[in-house]
Amino acid sequence: MVLGVLIAFGEMLSPGTYTNVQITWLHLPPAPGPFPNGFSLVMGTLVDPISSLMLVVVTVVGFLVMLYSIGYMHSDRGLPRYYAEMSLFLAAMTGLVLANNLLEFFLFWELVGVCSYFLIGFYYEKPSAASAAKEAFLVTRIGDVLFLLGIFLYFSTYATAGPDGGWAANGFVFAHNSVPFLPLPGANTTTLTIAGLLILGGAAGKSAQFPLHVWLPDAMEGPTTVSALIHAATMVAAGVYLLAVASVFLGFTPTDQLAIVAVGGFTAFFAATMAVVHPDIKRVIAYSTISQLGYMVLAIGAGFAMVGLYHLFTHAFFKALLFLAAGSVIHAVGTQDLFRMGGLKKHMRLTAAAFAIGGLALAGIPPFAGFWSKDDILASVYSQLGTHPLYWPFFVLAFSAVFLTAYYIFRAWFLAFSGDGPRDPTLPAAHEGPWVMQVPLVVLSAFAVVAGLFVFVPGFQHLLVQGTVLGGIPPTYPATDLALSSISVALGLGGIGLAWTLWGNGRVFSLAETSPVQPLRRLLLNRYYFKAGYDAIGLRAVYPFARATDFVDRFVIDGTVRGLERMFGAGSDRLRSIQSGLVSDYAAYVVAGLLALFVLLLIVGPYLLGRFGGG
Amino acid sequence: MLPLISIVLATLALGTVGTFAAGTRARWVALGTSALFLAEVGLLFAGFTGWPGYSGTLVPGFSYTETHPWISLAWMHIDYAVGVDGISLIFVLLTAILQIATVVYSWGETQRPAGYFGLVMLTCLGCVGVFVALDILLFFLFWELVLVPMFFLIGYWGGPNRRYAALKFFIYTHVASIVMLVGLLALVFYSGATSFDFASVYAAARGLAPVVQTFLFLALFFGFAVKFPIVPFHTWLPDAHVEAPTGGSVLLAGLLLKLGGYGLIRWAVEVLPSGLHSVQPLLFLIAFLSIFWGSVLSLAQRDLKRLVAYSSINHMGIVLLAIALDSSLGLLAAVLLMFAHGVVSGLLFMASGSVHHQYGTRDIASLGGITPGAPALSTMIMAGGLASLGLPALIGFPAEFTAFLATWNGLGYWVLIPLSVLVVTAAFYLWMMQRMLFGETKGGPPDAHGLPWYESAGMGLLVALTVLFGVLPSLLVNVIVNSPIKGWPGT
Repeated sequence: MVLGVLIAFGEMLSPGTYTNVQITWLHLPPAPGPFPNGFSLVMGTLVDPISSLMLVVVTVVGFLVMLYSIGYMHSDRGLPRYYAEMSLFLAAMTGLVLANNLLEFFLFWELVGVCSYFLIGFYYEKPSAASAAKEAFLVTRIGDVLFLLGIFLYFSTYATAGPDGGWAANGFVFAHNSVPFLPLPGANTTTLTIAGLLILGGAAGKSAQFPLHVWLPDAMEGPTTVSALIHAATMVAAGVYLLAVASVFLGFTPTDQLAIVAVGGFTAFFAATMAVVHPDIKRVIAYSTISQLGYMVLAIGAGFAMVGLYHLFTHAFFKALLFLAAGSVIHAVGTQDLFRMGGLKKHMRLTAAAFAIGGLALAGIPPFAGFWSKDDILASVYSQLGTHPLYWPFFVLAFSAVFLTAYYIFRAWFLAFSGDGPRDPTLPAAHEGPWVMQVPLVVLSAFAVVAGLFVFVPGFQHLLVQGTVLGGIPPTYPATDLALSSISVALGLGGIGLAWTLWGNGRVFSLAETSPVQPLRRLLLNRYYFKAGYDAIGLRAVYPFARATDFVDRFVIDGTVRGLERMFGAGSDRLRSIQSGLVSDYAAYVVAGLLALFVLLLIVGPYLLGRFGGG
Repeated sequence: MLPLISIVLATLALGTVGTFAAGTRARWVALGTSALFLAEVGLLFAGFTGWPGYSGTLVPGFSYTETHPWISLAWMHIDYAVGVDGISLIFVLLTAILQIATVVYSWGETQRPAGYFGLVMLTCLGCVGVFVALDILLFFLFWELVLVPMFFLIGYWGGPNRRYAALKFFIYTHVASIVMLVGLLALVFYSGATSFDFASVYAAARGLAPVVQTFLFLALFFGFAVKFPIVPFHTWLPDAHVEAPTGGSVLLAGLLLKLGGYGLIRWAVEVLPSGLHSVQPLLFLIAFLSIFWGSVLSLAQRDLKRLVAYSSINHMGIVLLAIALDSSLGLLAAVLLMFAHGVVSGLLFMASGSVHHQYGTRDIASLGGITPGAPALSTMIMAGGLASLGLPALIGFPAEFTAFLATWNGLGYWVLIPLSVLVVTAAFYLWMMQRMLFGETKGGPPDAHGLPWYESAGMGLLVALTVLFGVLPSLLVNVIVNSPIKGWPGT
């Protein structure tokens, strides 16, 4: 952690420095053909404004979550496995952040994915956990395949173009001698557009954006510490980080940008609606993560990569805080069902306060962290609305999601912490966790309060602006629009107010069975039937298809083989008569066979050769 | 300089005889032979260009070549000609690795151990012979030699349906060999080469008309394709694997399938470039079909070993695709892929064997949650599965990445077919792991003795190499590219 922060400070003090160290991983010498300058894959590190920001997030949150784990996980079996997998994850995540080329990025991208797979399935004896782990791996794998194809498209454009013999000789590097390698003028726009869309697909898989969002809520089967570190603060943010890196080093076309805005804006709203009804405290926060990642994607699409990363930075702290606070609750009462909890604030003052601070930051109430970064996102998108008329609907969706966000997170707070006591009297008496669990809550709360103010620190601001300059985007940081901010704060407060009205003080709001809103509620609880649909494709379409293929293989292809066998079997019965057992007969057959072979080769062959004009 | 390759062949031949004769101590002789062989391969590497420790100058063409007259006629002579380039050396290394791993893994074999270990030695001798032969008849001799021990390994040490599987394996591959032999002989006669030596055939084949090259290529391809195996000539493989003993499966998947790919590269692609060129579309079609078919069928399998067998068809489809691309990157990818598949499928077949020993069944549906009872075995299965689905930092990744990049470079958007199958490949491994390793425990307690040390050691060796070459693929790549083809440094 200390090392990571130091590197970031170094970057703040001398902005624009690129530290680039690399070794060759795989090398093909120059040869005639598609790669006249040779072909290399390299492994290296690159420290630039973007990666230093991300490095702080990974190392600080990683350290705090590891500390918290000591208390949270103390009674679990398989602790060596837990810490080994968490450490492997942190190593891979650091590698991803520091990668100096696209292939290395992809390599660590897959590694963090498999760590996530292991950790979601940490309680592997639970069938639901094993299933969720598989689902997470497969859905992100779809994104990975798109990402890989995107890499190929960029590669085909830049393989031999650019400084020092092109990408083929340089191994997909982002920057060459401190100058971004790409984008090069004169590249084929259609190819770049498709490549950009494919990168978006990869990012959508990792960052759980629509329509590849299904895995993240189920990933909550893992320990809460894993949810906080991997599925809130770092790994799921890797998709956003990829988009930021791509926007700075590879460049997006306007069509790509529109697609990114659409995915981000829609997901921000779509995920928030599902969080509104869910009874599980962790899943509410998980939907919230998807929604917040949508905001970041939106900002990057609008051309403000560093604004998106700024939100990533603040979000990492307050979302890890929310998860760890939720973990503290789960640790105390042993359930994740909000409707069984209640009145916890009496026994868990620190946790209640921490969750409230996280909630306020998430809801975008000043001066908490989320306000500054979310406001910057909305302002920056607002400033770009003239770019394309289709930006409007997604801006409106994202804007209205502010209200939902404030509502669902405070609904969770009121359900868990307010009221006289638990709704389910069988719950054990609540208590705070040990100091190793409390310290991270305090530290993260502090970050959730002040992280937004970092933007006023000159060095930090410099870092943000520096990152955007690289992509050729005007370095004007989006001016805060007072009217816009006021509306969004009002929406946030309105959401909190509604939550208090319906759920405050231990109230439980329930819809009448006949209410016209019921179908909508069911739709949301069933997650718009996306999960069911995907499962049906797997179980009702792909697997039966595979079984049918198996049938064809056994009975048609192998059946033909066995049919031939029987045919020869019948023939050989008749031929058996010539197997006289006399060596001289066999010798004669051998000679005859050889003669036939030679006739074939020496007479028929040359004849054919002559016919077809051979040489 | 020492005739190292002859020493290697002699070691294996003497080892084979010694093992057969050693009776109950056969495993020790086999282990000694394997260790000696591995050491000799180490010597081969130490003196080979491209290996980190190598300090000599570049040797163009083949290294360690030996040529001795064998049969001399007035118009034709057949030699004992051997030698290695980067590609064949990699396969010799693979043989050494799998041999010692198999011997260690099978340490507990009690059913006629002398015969079992002797046949393992003989299989490896045949494979090394195929990889180092530089004369067509010598090549064919070793090629056929491989069939015999494998036939007996399946037919005697195999499962309940072993006789059928062994016969099917033998007849199927033997028919292919005969077509291949006709092709090879025709190649020599039509090209007007004066010897069966690789160099003279190679030089003479340049003069062949494209249409002749096409016919010859097809004949050779059929011979190699059955060994590969590729759809629709693959149905011998699942039967052979299901019935074969574990050691037999490891050698079958790890080495015998590589003979097809190696033969195709050495004797068809290099020698008959126009032939390759004219049948390229057909090869692509077959490759795509194999990739798709193998992967989808794996998804449908209920027997763990059958699942791994079908996944081999998928992987070898990618190998064929990479070879058919006829580019330097594709060729590199194909060799890497074959090496990776050799190690990883060996690991997976060993793991299937251990599952069978421990639980008495390999039926995925009747097993479940075996991780708490057998954590080490479960880890091995996971390592194999993840390596096989192309996880970075394991050996499959650099190979698959270069293969797909080469496909993209050569065929453009057609790469979508193998790329999308990657998702299916991930699906069948993950689903297998979910059903078999995780969830509630089913299928009874494991064998009371637990996983024997020698089975863990055999698998552990392969896991270690999977990681080593996954992290440092340049150890292999720098050797592979020292081959006299595609304008690489060996030329």
